[in-house]
Amino acid sequence: MDVVLGIRLKDCTLIATSKSVTRGISVLKEDDDKTRILNEHNLIAFTGEAGDTVQFAEYIQANIQLYSMRENDIELSPKATASFVRNQLATSLRTRKPYQVNVLIGGFDTKTGKPTLNYIDYIGTQAILPYAAHGYAAFYCMSLLDKHYRPEMELNDGLKLLEMSIKELQTRMPMDFKGVIVKVIDKEGIRKIDV
Amino acid sequence: MSDPSSINGGSALAMVGKDCVAIACDLRLGSQSLGLANNFEKIFKINDKVMMGLTGLASDVTTLHELFRFKNNLYELREERKIEPSTFANLVSSTLYEKRFGPWFTGPLVAGLDKHNKPFICGFDSIGCIDYAKDFVVSGTASDQLYGMCEGLYQPNLEPEDLFETISQSLLNAVDRDTLSGWGAIVYIITKDKVIKKVLRTRQD
Amino acid sequence: MNTIASQFNNNNRNHVHHEINESNGGYGGVDKLELTPTMTLPPISQPTDFLRAHTDDATNPDCKIKIAHGTTTLAFRYKKGIVIAVDSRASQGNWTASQTVHKVIRINPMLLGTMAGGAADCQYWETWLGTQCRLHELREKERISVAAASKILSNLIYEYKGMGLSMGTMICGFTKKEGPTVYYVDSDGTRLKGDLFCVGSGQTFAYGVLDSEYKWDLTEEEALYLGKRSILAAAHRDAYSGGTVNLYHITEEGWTYHGNYDVGDLFWEVKSQEKSFNNVDG
Repeated sequence: MDVVLGIRLKDCTLIATSKSVTRGISVLKEDDDKTRILNEHNLIAFTGEAGDTVQFAEYIQANIQLYSMRENDIELSPKATASFVRNQLATSLRTRKPYQVNVLIGGFDTKTGKPTLNYIDYIGTQAILPYAAHGYAAFYCMSLLDKHYRPEMELNDGLKLLEMSIKELQTRMPMDFKGVIVKVIDKEGIRKIDV
Repeated sequence: MSDPSSINGGSALAMVGKDCVAIACDLRLGSQSLGLANNFEKIFKINDKVMMGLTGLASDVTTLHELFRFKNNLYELREERKIEPSTFANLVSSTLYEKRFGPWFTGPLVAGLDKHNKPFICGFDSIGCIDYAKDFVVSGTASDQLYGMCEGLYQPNLEPEDLFETISQSLLNAVDRDTLSGWGAIVYIITKDKVIKKVLRTRQD
Repeated sequence: MNTIASQFNNNNRNHVHHEINESNGGYGGVDKLELTPTMTLPPISQPTDFLRAHTDDATNPDCKIKIAHGTTTLAFRYKKGIVIAVDSRASQGNWTASQTVHKVIRINPMLLGTMAGGAADCQYWETWLGTQCRLHELREKERISVAAASKILSNLIYEYKGMGLSMGTMICGFTKKEGPTVYYVDSDGTRLKGDLFCVGSGQTFAYGVLDSEYKWDLTEEEALYLGKRSILAAAHRDAYSGGTVNLYHITEEGWTYHGNYDVGDLFWEVKSQEKSFNNVDG
């Protein structure tokens, strides 16, 4: 099971995704990036049915970018981005072949100057949360984050918290997920962080 | 277990008082056993005197909220007046029946005061059958428990303060016996000149 | 030598039984009075299929007979002894059947067992384990080791493997030769010795908190708080866990009960003290 984890901090949002891709009993790849950049301040992280995930993420990516091109370089806010993604998934759910993709959207709202984290599953369930995870990772991390998370945390504290969560997953999850790629979304945009 | 209307959990109810109505819901959003969010409100304002509750599949709750907001905006533009609760109930009903052969997985409630400030409440099944009631309507994963609480505690013609107490106790004690509801609660009291919102501090398990 | 033991044993029924049973007329030839309960099976060709068809397990969630499920229990060893903490919720489907279940079974003054899975299964067999431990003491003039006690339970459970028993339990005790000892025993027949176990639907949430704070050199106060806090974490996030927290501590003197804490109050107390649970308003 993939790990997709997000934590909203004082002035940025952290997104961590596992690096392994497995099919059956084999590990196919151990440096996979399960995120796509939607625009300067929005990052989508995804997990779910093989094939659907990347197709969906890149479809969203293309449409968000198309919007900016059409609308005079106006960047879609995190709230609008999340609403668009949710609507796509909710619509897809009642088609013959729904996208089975769960996502986290890390964003930074340049208007309000606030970071956000959106949880959306393949059904179209949407929640704005301080920290969130998909799949089994949530079962280990949520209680840990309930205890150790503080809303006023800076990037460094956030990374320590993330490290703690990953350590817990490595000790308790049955499968080796080959570590995580960590990305941060803040007012400067999106960047990868070496861990 | 994969029943769509009990994946996310959540409950709501509405009650009639003397020249007022109350509508309340819990705040849990879950994914089966896992609690995800404790700020998922299931009651939405339609206008100053009409509110609706939506429980069931969270995705459909969001979708329908957006849909009814849209339809209500159109109504207000076309009619240049606020919608009456009974009219809105019929709008909900026909909207739900449109999906007769592939329904929305929700149990809506409507509560409000009409133009003469007469209380109105009703509930629906998932395909639009209107359940008019003079006393109370319930919906959600704790509906069995809510029926029990309401049958026990409800009295007609309660003043707003007493109605608040009755609806709060009914909701709180019902959701405490449902694993998928709880995690906070919100109560609205609609009177002729204002809507009062109260957030209840509840158990968090 | 085994005169007392034999009264509790089906193989050697004593003369009192024979007398009573004979006076009953002896039709059918089946003994009517026994001190040890025996397991009756449904009189059909495949009792296991019958049970599966009428009780809920993973394969058959929407049947009529619902067994109480859903739990978080934990036990861990540390320098000063053992901490045991459990929640108290029993649920049948989405219905909260009880918020006041005692999930720690006091096998005897030195041994505790925890309860997850089928409540009746755990309660019955761990009480039965108590009688077996007492018989061991009478026979051997020595207290039973935790290893032996857990093995008796494990062997019994294994006899019934595949017949629908549902248990996930920790047998905890302190003996001179073993020190503080925790064994995990479940209805698959698994039996493991270890330092730290969490069992039940809320196990992952308890592990999350417990792993992040656990160390061998905890003080007694720290250890008890950590146990309580881990159950609280699970009670919060897991729909099927909650109610109250029951706390126990085991040292060489035996176990001591450290109270019952209602999650309704405990949550807000911990939240304001720790400044944690920032996902919750209020």
